[in-house]
Amino acid sequence: MHRRSERWRRGAVLAALVVVCTMPATAQESVESPEIMRAYDLETAGKYREAALLFRTALRASPTATALLGLERVFAELRQSDSLLPTLEALIVQRPRDPLYRTVQLRTLQILRRDEALRAAFERWVLDVPRDPAPYREYARVLIALGRPVLADSIVQRSRDALGTAHDLSMETAQLRAAQGQWEASAVAWRRALSEQPYLASAAAHALAPTPVGTRDAVRRVLLAGRALGERRAVAELELGWGSPQDAWDALRIVPPDTAVASAWAEFGERALGEEQFAIARAALTASLAIRRTPELAIRAADAALQAGVPSDVALLLPLAEVAGDPERLVRDYLPLHVAALSALGRPSDASALVERYDRALTPGQRVRMSRALATAWVRTGDLARARAALGTAGDADSSEAAGWLALYEGRLGDARRLLRSSREPGPALASALGVVSRTRGDEGAALGAAFLALARGDSATAIARFVQASERHPEARSALLLAAARIHAARGEETAAVALWSQIVGTMGESPEAAESELEWARALRRRGDVRGAIARLEHLILGSPQSALLPQARRELEQARRSIPSP
Amino acid sequence: MTRMPFPHLRRRLVCLVALAMTFAAPGAHAQRLLVPMDDAQTNHLKAYGLTYNTMKAGVVAEWLLNYRGGSFLLPDAPETRRRAALDGISVEPVSDASLATLRRELGGGNMESVPLEKAPRIAVYTPPDAQPWDDAVTLALKYAGIDFTPIYDTELERGDLTKYDWLHLHHEDFTGQFNKFHLGYRDAPWFRDMYAANSATARALGYPHIPALKKGAAERIRGFVERGGFLFAMCGATETLELAIAAHSVDIAGQFNDGTPVDADADARLDWKRAMAFRDAHLERSPFVNSMSDIDGHQVNVPGRRQPLGTFTLFSFSAKIDPVPSMLVQGHRNVMNDWYGVTTSFNKSTLKPGVVVLATEEGAPWVKYIHGDYGKGTWTYLGGHDPEDPQHAIGNPPTDLSLHRSSPGYRLILNNVLFPAAKKKPLKT
Repeated sequence: MHRRSERWRRGAVLAALVVVCTMPATAQESVESPEIMRAYDLETAGKYREAALLFRTALRASPTATALLGLERVFAELRQSDSLLPTLEALIVQRPRDPLYRTVQLRTLQILRRDEALRAAFERWVLDVPRDPAPYREYARVLIALGRPVLADSIVQRSRDALGTAHDLSMETAQLRAAQGQWEASAVAWRRALSEQPYLASAAAHALAPTPVGTRDAVRRVLLAGRALGERRAVAELELGWGSPQDAWDALRIVPPDTAVASAWAEFGERALGEEQFAIARAALTASLAIRRTPELAIRAADAALQAGVPSDVALLLPLAEVAGDPERLVRDYLPLHVAALSALGRPSDASALVERYDRALTPGQRVRMSRALATAWVRTGDLARARAALGTAGDADSSEAAGWLALYEGRLGDARRLLRSSREPGPALASALGVVSRTRGDEGAALGAAFLALARGDSATAIARFVQASERHPEARSALLLAAARIHAARGEETAAVALWSQIVGTMGESPEAAESELEWARALRRRGDVRGAIARLEHLILGSPQSALLPQARRELEQARRSIPSP
Repeated sequence: MTRMPFPHLRRRLVCLVALAMTFAAPGAHAQRLLVPMDDAQTNHLKAYGLTYNTMKAGVVAEWLLNYRGGSFLLPDAPETRRRAALDGISVEPVSDASLATLRRELGGGNMESVPLEKAPRIAVYTPPDAQPWDDAVTLALKYAGIDFTPIYDTELERGDLTKYDWLHLHHEDFTGQFNKFHLGYRDAPWFRDMYAANSATARALGYPHIPALKKGAAERIRGFVERGGFLFAMCGATETLELAIAAHSVDIAGQFNDGTPVDADADARLDWKRAMAFRDAHLERSPFVNSMSDIDGHQVNVPGRRQPLGTFTLFSFSAKIDPVPSMLVQGHRNVMNDWYGVTTSFNKSTLKPGVVVLATEEGAPWVKYIHGDYGKGTWTYLGGHDPEDPQHAIGNPPTDLSLHRSSPGYRLILNNVLFPAAKKKPLKT
């Protein structure tokens, strides 16, 4: 009801903005008069009274759209919109068929909330241009903005009766149907509107976004019936909003390519990248790059490929030729991406050679970052000596976080604790490592180092075995090490093995800080399997057994969801 | 303000309080659990569920009116502690010595202890396929963990109302006009489905059309209250139930709904003597104006008439003299922001004499929350749709009450659920 009105208004404003944005093209072609330019300056400076005088003078000399819209704006700022009405009446008498004056008149009467005068102005306009859809369209828009859908609907119906079609009011019809909860009918109308005005895709997505889950397939069917860019963009935006990024890309990728489509794909890829949908971002940016190559796009596509776990794409998407003419971009973007890709591919020697080739162009800061990247590359291959050597070239071997990681991999737990704690860039991996290392006693721990090293090398199966072994050697951190192993099992999709470890932690180390976290993960796994009763039992056990745990609010919330006493996301 | 004295109820409650005092005598119980309902409580809504389920297990609870926001006193039992811990409800152990001090405090101020003896059997009048999230009361009951049975026209026709002590109605339009939503939603799938399902029920039960079906339902609900039932209604059900009862021999439904226009003299022929809360209201006859009558003060769906939301204040009653209205207004806030509904408020000019006003907006011609006796039963009406969704619109996402655990507005709803537990016993004696 009321909130729905707000949504229409926002949608209507969005759509109106789109329409208005397309209008000034003609105005921009003509050179504005000095009065108008001066009036603009005064308006920008907030001197609305002075600006109004100049706009009015300009309007008397020549009734241009620029002068009229300027006068409308400044009168609105001065809260004197009613002062515009006599001017508009005079202009309408002079040019009764000009839609601009009529539109501004309706808008002004809307602002002033003069409903009867508004209706009368619409009726006069219809009388003057009986075969023109503009009066119906503009009045319907005003009514939608006023939150009066029933009356707006009657105006659309009237235009259909008078003109034999409501084709020119497709967007207004679409907004009305959405506002009335007629989602499928709205989608049909939006499709019609988008066929001629594809730039309305965002407005369509905005209007259709609240479609209930059960009706979304009907909306999809309507909008996916064709392959035009406007409709497809609307679906892509909707699917992203509804949490289905793959469906969003599937809707957009089959549009026949051209430069406009390439822009749409690039824009979509950027949005997916921002939402950490890396695989989809990679697909969209790569597709766009195939049509319209630019260095910026190549860098973004390569970045998306790297983050999507496809480092081999980096060399294809961002060849040296792309940035060869721009040394600054080469060291800033090309080099880190390629070093990271080579590192991920297990080719630290090639990465070293690449860094060496451009070493002279690197700033000191870039050089430190590159040496750390190279150290990581060597760690991935298990060559800790070369990793240390790489850090040494930047004078980083004994003081940095990277040195702390190296110490951990080598089992020098005392050094690892000292160096990792001094890190200025905390992240989840560091927090996790510190959580384990700070719980251990003694300065040596080869088994523990081997576990973290296996993890760094991407050898998750070995990492699990090593963490379990390390848990025997470090009983003081047993629960933390088993939880680390369980997490890796879960990430590999080995839920049964993960549950075995979680249950071991809960059953035999119930007093440990990891018990609550293990039980929460266990409950989640049970819910995923459909064992709601089991999940509830685990969550209740967690809440009752760990009353001081920081996880209690989350556990209670998930208990409510499992019991279905609150809506699930 | 118009008020009723409740002399019969007062006498019965005095007896019950004496009974509770006997049970609470030193030595009878080693310890109690106080469920505070002021700002020390971390989950006010679940606290009602804890109390309700304690009663349901056959244990007497106490409602300490006006004591720390309307706290509850429960016997200390492992299961009670367990539920409280699971649901995040704050409880405070009370020793016998502390209990004696507490009772002295209750006796010396505007406070009272009311025993809650028997969990009422709860029914909610709602369509079989309705999502619980459509209705604030079912939301609250589900969240608090209070069991209820959904019933609808077929069950009413079968006489099932006799199985329940407490009935809730939400946004049903008992005039059979679907709140005139055909104006904006006639082609919406959900509207078409709702219309078809109700038409089928009307045919199956032998009614000529939906308005007749709903008028029949209204009459059965009226009879339920008259025979001693507890009725709680919100939103549009309040206004339309009364209109349907008053219109028992008049056609007040528009042509869209029953094929005939509203009777020309419908307004004059409304029989307000049969109604529970309202009198002399005027119908909105136009099928194009989304309003049923002038009972609602806010008229949210009529753009030219819509009134802005303000704040309303709960009355403070004497807990010892007026325990019933006191129970209905227990809370930790007595001033609240208003919320819209198909019927948001009730114009004072349409209230019958004797109606107890529980909450009102200062200076406004309407009130928010009203209560009264009817026959052997009682009714309570609360305007608006969802206390935590003040601008509620069709299609809005459901309210997640775990994010509103201490909602003062939802507490008003749950006060109504517990109130029959205090009153049912005297009615039987």
